[in-house]
Amino acid sequence: MSVLLSGQLLAAALALASLYALVAMGLNLVYGTMRLLNIAHGEFVMLGGYVTYWSFTHLGISPLLSMLIAPALGACLGMLIYLVLFRRLLRSPKLAARVEANSLLIFFGVSVIFQNVMALLFTSTQRGYVYLDQVINIGNVAMTANRLILFGVASSACLLCLAFFRYTRAGSAVRAVIQQRDASALVGIDIDRLNIMVFALGFALAALAGVLVSMVQEITPFIGFPFTISAFVIITLGGLGNLFGSLLGALLLAAVEVYGTAIISSSFRSILVYGVFIAVLLVKPEGLLGRAVVAR
Amino acid sequence: MKRLLLAAIFAAALPHLASAEDPIKIGYAISKTGPFAPAAQTQLNAYQLWADKVAADGGIDVGGVKRPVQFVVYDDQSDFGKAPAIYEKLITSDKVDLLLAPWGTPFHFSIVGILEKYHFPVVGNSAASTTIRDVKPGNIWFTTSAIPDHLASELVKMMKSAGVKTVAINTLQLPFSQEFKKYLMPAIEKDGGFKVVVNEEYAPDTKDMTATLTKIKQAAPDAILSLSYPPDSVLFMKQERELGINAPFQLVLIGPTDHFFSKIFGSNLDGTITMGHWSPAQAKWPKAKPFYDAYFKKFNEPPDYLDSALAWMSIEVLEQAVKKVGLDKDKLRQEIASDTFDTINGPVKFNGVENVTTPTMYLQFQKGEAQIIWPASEETAKMIKKPAWSQN
Amino acid sequence: MKRAETRRHLPFISGLVAAVAAGAMLVTWGDEYAVGVGLTLVMWIALVQSWAAFSGLSGYISLGHAVFYGVGAYVMVAGWQTLPIWLSVVAAGLAAGAVALLLGWPSLRVRGPYFVILTFGLAEFVKYIVVSIEAALGRNGRLLIGAPGLRELFVAMLFLAVLSTTGLYALRRSRLGTGLIAIREDEIAAEAVGVNTARTKLVIFGLSAIVPGMVGALMSLRFTYFEPMQSFSPVTSFTIVTIAVLGGSDDVPGPLLGTVFLVALSELLWARAPELYMIILGVLLVGFVLFAPEGIYGKLRSWGRGGAR
Repeated sequence: MSVLLSGQLLAAALALASLYALVAMGLNLVYGTMRLLNIAHGEFVMLGGYVTYWSFTHLGISPLLSMLIAPALGACLGMLIYLVLFRRLLRSPKLAARVEANSLLIFFGVSVIFQNVMALLFTSTQRGYVYLDQVINIGNVAMTANRLILFGVASSACLLCLAFFRYTRAGSAVRAVIQQRDASALVGIDIDRLNIMVFALGFALAALAGVLVSMVQEITPFIGFPFTISAFVIITLGGLGNLFGSLLGALLLAAVEVYGTAIISSSFRSILVYGVFIAVLLVKPEGLLGRAVVAR
Repeated sequence: MKRLLLAAIFAAALPHLASAEDPIKIGYAISKTGPFAPAAQTQLNAYQLWADKVAADGGIDVGGVKRPVQFVVYDDQSDFGKAPAIYEKLITSDKVDLLLAPWGTPFHFSIVGILEKYHFPVVGNSAASTTIRDVKPGNIWFTTSAIPDHLASELVKMMKSAGVKTVAINTLQLPFSQEFKKYLMPAIEKDGGFKVVVNEEYAPDTKDMTATLTKIKQAAPDAILSLSYPPDSVLFMKQERELGINAPFQLVLIGPTDHFFSKIFGSNLDGTITMGHWSPAQAKWPKAKPFYDAYFKKFNEPPDYLDSALAWMSIEVLEQAVKKVGLDKDKLRQEIASDTFDTINGPVKFNGVENVTTPTMYLQFQKGEAQIIWPASEETAKMIKKPAWSQN
Repeated sequence: MKRAETRRHLPFISGLVAAVAAGAMLVTWGDEYAVGVGLTLVMWIALVQSWAAFSGLSGYISLGHAVFYGVGAYVMVAGWQTLPIWLSVVAAGLAAGAVALLLGWPSLRVRGPYFVILTFGLAEFVKYIVVSIEAALGRNGRLLIGAPGLRELFVAMLFLAVLSTTGLYALRRSRLGTGLIAIREDEIAAEAVGVNTARTKLVIFGLSAIVPGMVGALMSLRFTYFEPMQSFSPVTSFTIVTIAVLGGSDDVPGPLLGTVFLVALSELLWARAPELYMIILGVLLVGFVLFAPEGIYGKLRSWGRGGAR
């Protein structure tokens, strides 16, 4: 029982939650505004990780600096993908009618391409580096410095995002589009420009998560998919399109992973995660914080 | 008359010349893409090292005649369902003369049917499961001595000799770890001198082990056994260090033999015990250090003490067999099944499918090098207690 | 069947006969490798036709069909050397169908993207349960020694491919199938005109799982090794959907063309340049969705009708 109440477990859950939240937020943005199911989201995390790894080991660039570089690159790549692939999808009425299905498939193709390009460039061997891994003891909680940084950066980024959506004009525009796409166009919001911005932001967030991930775990071209799955579980839990909901979803998922396994057993970790996911989808498919979905 | 004689000599020499030029084909499939590719890399490296050596030597010795080698390599895409089809293609369509084994236990098993069908002998390497004994001998042999039941009984003996009284075990729910645990638990019970204070399992894709590790920390055991595969081995060790969990005896089943662990953990790897039975430090095996050096020269890092070594051993067995008896399958089969081979891991002889000359051993990292610490007859260094994690 | 009806179905029946004849020739005269490729071909055809019977017609994209394949494989290994093989195969199909009904009953209430990720989640859920069961049983992968040979498996699989193709063909032209298509076009309207949407979806979902279950059982014999992480692998689900996108999923020729295309591409490339093969596949997938959303079959049909749409 004391294990459950320990600060260490709480710290682990929070660190995991912050990373999950960061990854999920980018995914939720893209889905919320454009209804695109980005199952390549994890690959952008992976790319962010490789950028950091390569910059650090070959160019000596600190991962802290990569926290600015990788998201910038992610944003550019995101915009490129939007302009080349998705603008067409969204503009064609035939394709847009089945936008979720089509986007899923396009992104699936994109993920396959990214995974294998990286495998070609870097070989599939696991990569890693050591950076700021001194263990820091705060009270009876011990954490490596890089995990603390991960928690700090990820949660700040999420909070900044939420603030951005709440208090800025551009952010309000995004929220408007999430709520009511067609009406937003009517009130003069430039949907196309907004889409570009959302793609840029969403993928930047994923790339940032990649930087953080590369500090604490090994990377291979195939680490993206589990992150994508977790992100989908989270945004479903919190409500598709509900940005604050993804924070909650992340906390819930991390809690299930860390505390659930402490209570029952680690052997049921994946069963628990998917079980909760399925349960929420069946009982309240619009998510814990989502509004009831109008049947499509 | 002289002309006739010259012509006769020439004619007699011709077939000899022709066969010396004819390349032989050696084929294999390995996971170049997909989730197993990272793990298969070190075995592939060993194969590629051999390809370089063979090219530099001008070929391999086939029953007294040197013949160049043409390699036919396919990617099995980490899908052991593809392996049978590929090996069948290698045999029937590419018409290879010799085969090398794929990476990993499931892949070895998946091709057994094909090998039996075509009576094509293959020297296996990176497969370790008691199930190999279910395979009919004659077409595949396994060079590894790291078989779970032997490993389990040796581990118990090793722990006993180290004075271990309390044990914590954390097991991944994948075949090899599960098999190891299946033999370990009864062995521990039979001995009667141990108390298992933590016994947890975890699913693949687990991202956090804090809960289990906190329990382990509280129990403060003498021995911590992480029956894990490389990715979770990394996670386990990292979080162990974070929580400052120190125990004099720490086993991490799979992973540390890969140089990646040395890179990430540095001196923190010292004292970690892992499975393996090869070390360049073993003076009894003169070929060991040269292999280490050659690998290092080509790849700029040490070989994997497990997979790279096993792969090279299987190559040595094959090379020596082919040198003696040529390419005839039946002769090869006989030769491999009966002869003793001289490898970088010492002598290797098979009884049925299993390598019975190489004892089951354990490695421990000391000052960045893998030393054999068990059994005493093979040790290159004495076992040490794992020093406390350096947290800086 | 009346004469006029027979004539209508003639193309399909002759196509089927031709396929079976080709299969027979392959089994008799083909070398091992060719039969192996043939097995892969008919396996995917069997899987995708079954998938299309539900997902293609209803528009409910199931991204978890691998679960039925895995269940079928598990039934086979569980009954290994206890039950005769043919019985295991049938049991595998029925078990998969039962699982589909069980999973479908709650999940078919969910629409659109939710359904997609739900099916995926369910497949993973079942996968990890099987992993747990195997761990609890102390099983570390199962070896099946002494399985039937390649040619026998090919014949059985060919039969399954014919079965699922005929099933899709018949379904599409039946009342039940029309109801499903109506659901795809507009579910609410379909309900309004009297289609029992819940029951239609559930029944066909269940039926669409039977052949995949049997396929899984047969393939476990081919691989002679069962390990839940592989047998329930999401790659199977994704490949099915990829083939359906490439070939088209609306009618019988679609999955056929898609499978042939994919297998041909695979044969051409994975031997020489594996990473390149995957990259090309990704590019093709993207290209098809954007430029040929009805798949090869749809494109052929629109060209057949002459001129741009």
